[in-house]
Amino acid sequence: MRPVSIFVVITTILIVVTIGIVAPLQAQEKKPVVVGFIHSMSGAMSMYGISSQAGGQIAVEEINAAGGILGRPLKMITRDDKLNPETGLREAKDLLLSEKADFLSGTISSAVALAISNHVKREKKIFIVNISQSSSITEENWHRYIFRIDTNAVPYWGYANALALGRTWKDKKIISLGFDYEMGKNAIRQFKEKYLQIVPEAKIIDEIWAPLNTTDFTAHISKIANSGADAFFLSCIYGGGELAFTKQAYAFGLYDKMHAIQPCAGDVETWHGVKKGEPYPKGALATCRYPFWAIKDPRNQAFVEKHQKKVGFYPSYGAMNQYVIMYALKAAIEKVGAVDTEKIVDALENMTLDTFVGKVPIRAYDHQAMMPTWFGIIDFTPNLPFPHIPKAEVVGEESYHTVEQIKKLRGGK
Amino acid sequence: MKGLARAFHSHRLALRLALLVLLLILPFILKESWVSLANEMLIMALAGCALNIMLGYTGMVSFGPAGLYAVGAYATAILLTRYHSSFIIALIGAPILAGIAGVIVGWFCVRRSATYFALLTLAFSQIIWTIIFEWYDFTGGDNGIVSIPIPEFFFTISHCYYFTLAVVGACVLLLWTIIQSPFGKTLQAIRENPGRTEFIAIPLKRYQLAAFVLSSVFLGVAGSLYCVFSGSVFPDYAHWVKSTDMLVICLLGGFYNFTGPIVGSFVYILLSKIIAKQTMFWMFFLGAIIVFLVLFMRNGIVGFLADKFSPVTDPAPGSGKDGGGR
Amino acid sequence: MTFEAAAGQALSGISVGMVLFLIAVGLSIIFGTLKVLNLAHGSIYMVGGFLCFGFTSALAQVPGAFWWTLILAPVVVALLGGVIEILLLRRIYSQDVLYQYILTFGLILMLGETCKFIWGVGYHTVSAPWPVNGKIPIWGLSFPVYNLFLIGCGIAVFLGLLALMRYTGLGRMIRAVTFNREMANALGINVPRVYTGVFMLGCWLAGLAGTLMPPMSVVALGSDMAVIIECFIIVVIGGLGSLPGAFLGAIILGLLTAFGIYIIPKLAVAFAFLLMIVVLVIRPWGLMGKPE
Repeated sequence: MRPVSIFVVITTILIVVTIGIVAPLQAQEKKPVVVGFIHSMSGAMSMYGISSQAGGQIAVEEINAAGGILGRPLKMITRDDKLNPETGLREAKDLLLSEKADFLSGTISSAVALAISNHVKREKKIFIVNISQSSSITEENWHRYIFRIDTNAVPYWGYANALALGRTWKDKKIISLGFDYEMGKNAIRQFKEKYLQIVPEAKIIDEIWAPLNTTDFTAHISKIANSGADAFFLSCIYGGGELAFTKQAYAFGLYDKMHAIQPCAGDVETWHGVKKGEPYPKGALATCRYPFWAIKDPRNQAFVEKHQKKVGFYPSYGAMNQYVIMYALKAAIEKVGAVDTEKIVDALENMTLDTFVGKVPIRAYDHQAMMPTWFGIIDFTPNLPFPHIPKAEVVGEESYHTVEQIKKLRGGK
Repeated sequence: MKGLARAFHSHRLALRLALLVLLLILPFILKESWVSLANEMLIMALAGCALNIMLGYTGMVSFGPAGLYAVGAYATAILLTRYHSSFIIALIGAPILAGIAGVIVGWFCVRRSATYFALLTLAFSQIIWTIIFEWYDFTGGDNGIVSIPIPEFFFTISHCYYFTLAVVGACVLLLWTIIQSPFGKTLQAIRENPGRTEFIAIPLKRYQLAAFVLSSVFLGVAGSLYCVFSGSVFPDYAHWVKSTDMLVICLLGGFYNFTGPIVGSFVYILLSKIIAKQTMFWMFFLGAIIVFLVLFMRNGIVGFLADKFSPVTDPAPGSGKDGGGR
Repeated sequence: MTFEAAAGQALSGISVGMVLFLIAVGLSIIFGTLKVLNLAHGSIYMVGGFLCFGFTSALAQVPGAFWWTLILAPVVVALLGGVIEILLLRRIYSQDVLYQYILTFGLILMLGETCKFIWGVGYHTVSAPWPVNGKIPIWGLSFPVYNLFLIGCGIAVFLGLLALMRYTGLGRMIRAVTFNREMANALGINVPRVYTGVFMLGCWLAGLAGTLMPPMSVVALGSDMAVIIECFIIVVIGGLGSLPGAFLGAIILGLLTAFGIYIIPKLAVAFAFLLMIVVLVIRPWGLMGKPE
């Protein structure tokens, strides 16, 4: 072994040890309540990470200005998961170990959420999801310490759309196009499940799949155009892919040729830059998690303004959820009187959140907040510079899996 | 400098013992999060050394080590979750299955050399990624496998660390012995001049395949260790970006030296962690460091320091440099 | 499937293929002459996309903004390529493929983060410009004129490059350097300058593709990673360094996508990689490359 390499290794280890031991002393003030926030802060989905962080920080500032939680300041520490479960897990471990986080929150990628969920199960710490949609987080892979304050894939990508279509066009022949991954497959399955209950004569005449990062849907669109369907359904196509699809479908005149069911198109992050006259999901039936333009509560207005001042764009549902999560933790801690994880779990299970999207109960069986999903037809109105749903209707608990359904998925427990 | 180097030579044994002691008492002197990080560094060091058998010692540039690493990780995960096998079987199964995968993949890849070999390894590693991603029923698809029933013993960070240290230590010693053997010398001969080696009746492809399989086996062990460490596996373990991480580790440490990948793993993971905390644009600096590395420190840290510190004129046995750096 | 539907689907496939060709051709040329595997090719394409957005936004008041951008943006990208070649790539030509791979990987990180720094993390769009922004009924489909325009661009680029290589002095020099670097040098050709020129040409092509794509797609971070593997597949199947090979490879991949979604929807993803492996094992110089 080269002596030089031993020298290098020893020196670096000594440096590490020194850093590790001689850490700056903590200020001797009131110990803050620490929430570890893990999200995608870089890369393709970072808009949601930045927005969610802003929402959380607005809550932190408001709470601390009002005296904190039980007299202690609330602190939020942000880490980047790079949309990668390995990194997310590493950051979660670090937040719990070195930063002594009391709670964890965040994530947009379901894989990251599942990894962190598995870890907090071991460590017996609470993790509240603010965006990750996979239903398995609160269904098959549920455990005592996981919560989700957001919708999940069942209503957002599946059931709510079925209910929406059942209340509007009731199309009989539907063709679907989805991203080829687990959530995409689940979405069409759940949509079919619910829709066939409402319109039994309907048929999904074909299912088309595209690889996860596709941005050129030309071939898929021409197949849809030639299919003879009454409507097309997008299965879990979101973000940049959805934007590309919309442009191409619009250029093919697909939105004039048949009905469009485009879940998540109601959430405006994707359409920020789209101006009148440019391609948009014309006349599409879409779902939405946070129609901030349609919510009359004055707290909502204040939130939208604060968010815009912080990061320069309209708040996403991630921001709204994270805001609610911080307040939910505050309410639970205050109810229990201490930062006691087990008691806080009990408190959260029986809590009804007072949010500006309404009173939302947290269902005890799966720790899923019954956040509502809005739906409507997309259009341009003078109110906003980008396409949105002017008249939104809402579905609530009926768009989630029932407790019986979840029980079956968990193997009867 | 020369005096310093001479001092190192004579106290080589003492220094090695000191290092060993340091590694053993690490959990007692560092905070848990650092021990966890050290655990990761050890696993990546093993992966780097495994890759280096091909890269540094046989001169075979592979773009797809992550594929075999993922096979090891998933083997352990699937054996534990789906087949409820014992922990020992799951651990042993990983290198075996990774080795088998190495035989299959390697057989195709060694038919070609240099750039084509590299592209083949890339293609195979992406096939492995695609299989893991698509085969939801068996591998959990893009959700990965999360609640892996690892013995409760490993939930404690120091326990897991010692386990990793033991396995990595044993593997590194094993690799060192293999490299010093006639087989290892032959590999280096192949690296230096494949033509001449073939000329003296060494079956080139067979040795290259052997190096590939050996590398795969130890990559499988590394993958398995990571599965135990993190309690979960994901398709991105096989992604070409992860392969590039392993390549950078070898390059950073220096792939002409046995301990290069170990140093490289240590420095790379530490640097990533430190820079990531400073700025949102940390990937830019990582990229800049990588570019700097390729342009100015091609022999890696260990190679660079070896050039500066090793006495060139001293004819002491075993102190001369390996034949021909670039 | 009726003849009309099949023809329509084939046209879509060709459109997909031409898009891929426009993106991949630069990589093929760079590999052919410089023998460099430029992993950062996708990133350079992405920079072109962001510049397209940047220029069209800045020139929004100018009539024909997109067309001016089409002239300007690829040139800027080519200049960027020149800087990269002179400062960085030049030093590693004689080195192992490992160094090229890792250096260009480092470039991916740097270029990606620079785009994020300048243009932020959101998605950006560009409108299809007049006069190619309408629809034409072909074979029962309402086909976008812009896609036909892209097919036209792909063919034009292909023929233009062929002409460049075969009939111009510059092309002769490039071919000479590709064939035998030492001999070309001995004949007095300024090899380093040709290398820089070829790399800039490859980057110009990537920038052109990056500028042509946003009107039918989206400008977003992460498109560099998404695109680079497909480029590799095309270039390998067609033959590293072969221009007609890249054209053919792209068309094959496009048609495979178009008809694959009818026949074998699930495995379409893996199929491309399998084809790449088959080519590398059986005929590594690709369909139209030359054996070394």
